Amino acid sequence: MNSTHETTAHRRSWDFGLTVATVVLLGGLGLQSFVGTLYSWWATRQIPLWQQAGYYDFVDVMNAIAAPQVLALVIVMGLCVPKRLFSRTALVAVSAGMIVAGIVAWAFTGSPAEGLTVYLVLAALIQVAVVVMTIAGARGPSYLTEGRLTKIGSGLLHLGFVIFAVVVVALQRSPFMEPVFWTSTVLITAGTILAFYADKFAVRRTRRVVAED
Amino acid sequence: MNPVSIDTELTALLQALARVGGPIQWALLASAVFLGLVSFVPSLEKIRERTLWVVVGLLVSGEVALVWFHWRLYEITAVVSPVTGETTGHVAVSLWVESEKLFVWALILGLMALFAKRHRPELMPGVCFSLALLTIGAVLWGQPFTDPLPQFLGQYRGYLAATASGDINAAVGAYQGMEGSRAYYYNTWYMWIHPPLLFISYGAFVMSFVATLFMWRRRHSAYEETAYRWARLGYLPLTFGMLLGFPWAILAWQGDSWWWSGKVNMSIMMWLLYTAYLHGRLYLRRKGMWRWVALLAMLSFLVLVLTYLTTYIVPGAHSYA
Repeated sequence: MNSTHETTAHRRSWDFGLTVATVVLLGGLGLQSFVGTLYSWWATRQIPLWQQAGYYDFVDVMNAIAAPQVLALVIVMGLCVPKRLFSRTALVAVSAGMIVAGIVAWAFTGSPAEGLTVYLVLAALIQVAVVVMTIAGARGPSYLTEGRLTKIGSGLLHLGFVIFAVVVVALQRSPFMEPVFWTSTVLITAGTILAFYADKFAVRRTRRVVAED
Repeated sequence: MNPVSIDTELTALLQALARVGGPIQWALLASAVFLGLVSFVPSLEKIRERTLWVVVGLLVSGEVALVWFHWRLYEITAVVSPVTGETTGHVAVSLWVESEKLFVWALILGLMALFAKRHRPELMPGVCFSLALLTIGAVLWGQPFTDPLPQFLGQYRGYLAATASGDINAAVGAYQGMEGSRAYYYNTWYMWIHPPLLFISYGAFVMSFVATLFMWRRRHSAYEETAYRWARLGYLPLTFGMLLGFPWAILAWQGDSWWWSGKVNMSIMMWLLYTAYLHGRLYLRRKGMWRWVALLAMLSFLVLVLTYLTTYIVPGAHSYA
């Protein structure tokens, strides 16, 4: 019993840590966007022909600053996936395995995008397992939210975001871009609706059951 | 195709819109100013409610007039190849561009206000005041009936003038520009879905912001719940609308680093902040967390306003003033 409480407490603090990391990274990228926008507003007015001459340097600098943050965000997103399925120790091992697989792919192909793709595909596969287990009602996956429909919604929308990240990282010029993109969009939208409005669906279902009785 | 006769038809259409919409515009301005003045006077609650109905009624009437205007505009604005002489199509300008953006935002907020007043009447002063500000902005800044679509009409009339000039190079250049705008902007399915979804989310976020202010002042969890309900209603079309922009941006702005253009940049920032707000809210039961969540919600709304203004003040792919 104590060990269960301990595991739950560990999971909660791990969840909180990952949430804070996500919020900080989102906030960091947001701040960079804001500063970048202010700079381009200022530069357009103060530096002659900035849009023709200076804009591309600006883009390079912005990309360079954003790259480690986006990388960290993608890694955190990947870590958020197995957290639902594994205990803390196994989670660290699985996460480390995913990162190593990404680094190996990067080293093998020489492309960081390929490394990220491998990492994200692994995260997507684990998330598929999480969603299937949640739908099946298995006791394994742990969520912060309550209610099965809410959990399914949360699982689907996170799966959608992981797949969308795959599209951004790897499929922008691929013929598979459109079908994969639409799959991610449908998952995100349906998942968000379920996660936000599961209580409404649940009430309707209960009412129908009561009416049938 | 006769450019001169098209231009004459356009002029007549603009005059008709001004005749129909001009009085609506003035009535809207007067009623919105009045609504703003009575918003925070408790003893004038009934008058405020009636004025709200009047403002929303005028916004709906104005939108009907704008739908008619756009339909007629579509019929008139033929695009003809100067080389083959064949009509390649018409321009379908959507109802939420240029001078009409604030108008649509005000209309959506007005409809939401009518819905919200039954559930949370105490929010109505703040919501009515926001609606009044938006409507005044829509009339004075946008002038959708007396100075509609300046950028589109400037481009289309330039194309007509080039066609009428007899200079084939100028005509072909203007035609290609018009076709580009038609293919990647005006006539795309995307323009009929992406902006309205965002304006629905903007309307919901105004409601959420007002509820957050109430929570900050009165420290009652019921307002936090209301703020969250409106925020989740706004987050859904915001996310869907922004996602839809992705494949379109790859196609229309290929080769450009569009993700760092001012408006895209700020929109992503706004989405990130609202995402952070919804994530932070999961820990609302932690001590003092509500303050951070409320601050995040207010910051998100501030960024929403800046995002809207960015279209006009920072150059980039979305700069359609």
